[in-house]
Amino acid sequence: MKVTVDSTVCQGHTLCAMTAPDLFVLSDEDGHAAAAVDAVPPGREEAAREAARTCPEQAVALS
Amino acid sequence: MSIDQIDPGSVDDEARRQPRIDVDRHSTVWRTAFRELADELPANAPIAWNETYGGYWMVTGNKEVFDIVRRADVLSNDNDIHLERKGYDGISIPPPPREQRVVRGGILEMDPPEQRYYRNVMNPYLSPAAVARWQPVMDELVRACIDDHIESGRIDFVDDLANIVPAVLTMAMLGLPLEDWVVYCEPSHATVYTHPDDPDIGRVRELGMQMGMRAMQSIAELRVAPRPGLIDGLIRADISGHSPDDMEVLSQVTLLIGGGFDTTTALTAHALEWLSENPDQRERLVREWDDLRDSATEEFLRFYTPAPGDGRTFSADVEIDGKQFKEGERLWVGWATSNRDPGLFEEPHSIQLDRKGNRHSSFGLGIHRCIGSNVARATFKTMLKGALDRMPDFVCDPSGAVHYDTTGTINGMKHLPATFTPGRRLGPGVTETVAGLQRIVDEQRLAEPVTARKQARLTD
Repeated sequence: MKVTVDSTVCQGHTLCAMTAPDLFVLSDEDGHAAAAVDAVPPGREEAAREAARTCPEQAVALS
Repeated sequence: MSIDQIDPGSVDDEARRQPRIDVDRHSTVWRTAFRELADELPANAPIAWNETYGGYWMVTGNKEVFDIVRRADVLSNDNDIHLERKGYDGISIPPPPREQRVVRGGILEMDPPEQRYYRNVMNPYLSPAAVARWQPVMDELVRACIDDHIESGRIDFVDDLANIVPAVLTMAMLGLPLEDWVVYCEPSHATVYTHPDDPDIGRVRELGMQMGMRAMQSIAELRVAPRPGLIDGLIRADISGHSPDDMEVLSQVTLLIGGGFDTTTALTAHALEWLSENPDQRERLVREWDDLRDSATEEFLRFYTPAPGDGRTFSADVEIDGKQFKEGERLWVGWATSNRDPGLFEEPHSIQLDRKGNRHSSFGLGIHRCIGSNVARATFKTMLKGALDRMPDFVCDPSGAVHYDTTGTINGMKHLPATFTPGRRLGPGVTETVAGLQRIVDEQRLAEPVTARKQARLTD
């Protein structure tokens, strides 16, 4: 499973990193998110799905 | 009147502006019947024409809020107070009378690209990494607020805790004198909850004037004798080749104070009141704090949505979700109703401290996401933890709890007295602590942006 954050849609709500701090990294300057990993580690798929579901802007994509 | 005298535009408007509702958000009904309205409106009229206040579109359903409010290309937040652009009225419905509009509400009443330039200036003071540096200061403020009352066994969670911590912290982040929090505190709340017909309105407006004058005086002083903080950042900002004047700085300061104080107080008071009414859930939160802290915070944010909604103006003719909107029409986006939509939230009217997938919109959606959201979360968690740690058996007194009469602007509380088993004082009270924190903030330049200083430092 791969995880990405659409930087044109993310507004820095930070819920993805709150849900899965190992999968997302927040910018120091504005709190906007990026994926911290390319591939979701085994056993963390549900956390990735939860982060995608929780994003208020629906900026997190899984593939 | 014969048919050929009717303006064809108004016939079109009549057909377009459907369904029609008549809901006065500034009446007590919006608060007392909120649950029924939150069931009915998103289900039956998720986008409706509300005939009050001159008529405006009111969007209450979760899907519709999501579809419409992120369309920054066809929506404007502009409050054009000097009638230099299209004369739009900002985010309040109804807007204040034009003669009372001294400044617009900072970035929340601006459109891109100007809004983005200012936001880029302020983000490095308010990002998660920037806010984390303030945790020792927040801890110390909460300790001091509680110490002033811990030996008595009585506290008013609004007056003695939730009003003070956000106010002092905001002063510090702005680079204002910390002791000035008392100048800003009362008017920031009272101007929200005092009705224009209230006999106290004259005194409240006077306090608001004094607050504005003090802010202008401080901005002028900071130009001469710079100190780190958000105001310093704004003074030095390059807004596309333009340097903000004092009134433009004041506009952002007004938003940061007005947006930051009352909302955080409202959330904290409601959460503490609910925890008092649900002691089993409070025990669970204490027991499982590390696991529940974040989800409980998001759930209180969803359920008590401090700012129930915000206004916009359509800046172009557009069709969204099958509705035709016209340029110049007003829109109100209902975060609070959207947060109770059963399509997205199972059992939306119940508080579940471990709720998953909590896609609430209490900080707004799109480019105007609350810039203080990280400060709000951190101060809320710190205040809640302080109360739970040191007053674990607190009981709020329902006869002394005072909710705002109306929740058209903020779903807030004026007072929330509580009693608890007295405990031991750990340090000095608020006055002495604020003086001590002032020295530390100055010496260690705590209010610098995160771009200048990344690490948290001990406060003592």
